[in-house]
Amino acid sequence: MSWWRTPTARRYTFGYTLLAPAVLYVLLLVGAPFLFSLYLALSDASTGAPVAHFVGLDNFRSAVETSVFYTALRNTLLFTVGAGILKGLLGTTLAFLLLQPFHGRKVIRALIVVPFTLPIAVSVLGWKWMFDSQFSVINWALSRLDLIGPYGSASWPVWLGQPGLALLSVMFVNVWRGFPFSAIVLLAGLTSVPPEILDAAKVDGATFLQRFRKVIVPMIAPILFIGSAFDTVFTLSDLSIVYLLTNGGPDGATEILPTLAYNTGIRGGALGRGAAISLFLLPILLPLIFFLLRALRRRQY
Amino acid sequence: MATVTVAARPVQVARTARAKAIRRHVLIYLGLAPFMVIAIFPILWMVITAIKQDADLYLMDAVPFWFRQAPTWKNFDFLFHHTSYGDWIVNTVAISFWVSAITLLVAVPAGYALARLRLPFSENLGIGIFMTYLVPGIILFIPLARVVSLLDLQDSWWSLVVVYPTLTIPFCTWLLMGFFKTVPFEIEEAAMVDGCGQLGALLRVVLPVSWPGVITAIIFSFTLSMQDFLYALAFVSVSDQKPVPLGVATELIRGDIYFWGSLMAGALLVGVPVAIVYNFFLDKFITGITGAAIK
Repeated sequence: MSWWRTPTARRYTFGYTLLAPAVLYVLLLVGAPFLFSLYLALSDASTGAPVAHFVGLDNFRSAVETSVFYTALRNTLLFTVGAGILKGLLGTTLAFLLLQPFHGRKVIRALIVVPFTLPIAVSVLGWKWMFDSQFSVINWALSRLDLIGPYGSASWPVWLGQPGLALLSVMFVNVWRGFPFSAIVLLAGLTSVPPEILDAAKVDGATFLQRFRKVIVPMIAPILFIGSAFDTVFTLSDLSIVYLLTNGGPDGATEILPTLAYNTGIRGGALGRGAAISLFLLPILLPLIFFLLRALRRRQY
Repeated sequence: MATVTVAARPVQVARTARAKAIRRHVLIYLGLAPFMVIAIFPILWMVITAIKQDADLYLMDAVPFWFRQAPTWKNFDFLFHHTSYGDWIVNTVAISFWVSAITLLVAVPAGYALARLRLPFSENLGIGIFMTYLVPGIILFIPLARVVSLLDLQDSWWSLVVVYPTLTIPFCTWLLMGFFKTVPFEIEEAAMVDGCGQLGALLRVVLPVSWPGVITAIIFSFTLSMQDFLYALAFVSVSDQKPVPLGVATELIRGDIYFWGSLMAGALLVGVPVAIVYNFFLDKFITGITGAAIK
């Protein structure tokens, strides 16, 4: 009996046939486009011109030469790191609160995760209305609390119209959407910590601080890292918050690499330049993806 | 006298335990209150805006959370009679249907093969397929715009049917792999002894007992495609071809004028059901993406 007719060979053929559509789909629509974006970035491709020429690193060079690129890069880093830290802190606090047994826990948990489960474009529109330059409900509340002046006074902040405030506002919306995710990821990890370990430490006479440093922190740190890594990938690739709230304004103050890539590549039609700009995200993304890859490979088979 | 103290003690213990429990609850609720307000207030405000009359909405000297004019459904009415909202809903449903169909057709066999057939390299292949979920759209959308125009699908919602499976196939393959692993091998072997081939065993025995996994995969095909904004924005610019989130975000604005009431109505009408469904399956999503690393 030849090898390819053995049961093992037939199982392999069957198995790889079943896998083929999935592998082909991701190769054709993720793998190939990724390589294509490297090619585009090195060409002068545009939506109007049918033929693209190889231009070497010109797109990267001309991107780097504009000042808006630096603002976008700085904002992207500031946004990702700043919002990431806040989400980690808020998420950890919330996770420890939700870990306690109390009445109505399920309902409260379900309500608190709504910012994450609501489609992002939907909730950002809500925030755009709350940040409205004239009818902001936030300003109304602040003015009733006497923190700012009455309606129409110059002390009313224009959330999306003042450069510094606008950047803080878009970051805040990202934090609002992301903190439930951090909390739920941590909660999933914390509930997998056997309570006996904590009890044993308690019996051994460890104080709360000792238990926190020696038992809880080493256990939650890896989970927190994994949650943050996923969240950072989501944050870096999201343009809807900035696009819908400010579209990079006022005067480029909230421009981030995703919006710059979109406005250059799709709106402006300079596909090559746009692809080059989005590839600047790669050095930030690759370490994260490798980290997650390593975490996934530790899975027990 | 002695008997009195003995009798009183358990009551007192119970009372202090109760007081302690109450105090604990109060502390926890106090801690959770700011999170609750921050999480829920924007949605509440969207709801109020959606059912307010315009004149009432722009009265800034009164408390904005009360109604001085009767609540109204006219914002919803406006959506269906003066915008393409009906088309957007039809598009969204059609996109979800086709994306789910493609995802199941591709991810079920792949997940089964990875979980069951002891193939060489199956672990790496599984991780490889899942990792493509992490390649962000922001790097892919420009080259995909070219692919979409090569397929002559620009400005049609079919472009999204082609693209969304790149989000759903990796995730659902991974999810289904986990499900198939929990089906006992014996069931399958028994079926094969009874004369089913490997494919017969999958279709007639393994799939029927894995239906919760299949349903979960359908739900995620729907919720993950609903979370997208970038691809829709980049590939679809014709009004009647848009899915709901894009349509609401781009079509309910005339120049500088935002139709806030209708905007909120249109956003919530689709957003709330999605959020509710997603809420029920959120734990599965979290274990799906992180479980591998945490367990």
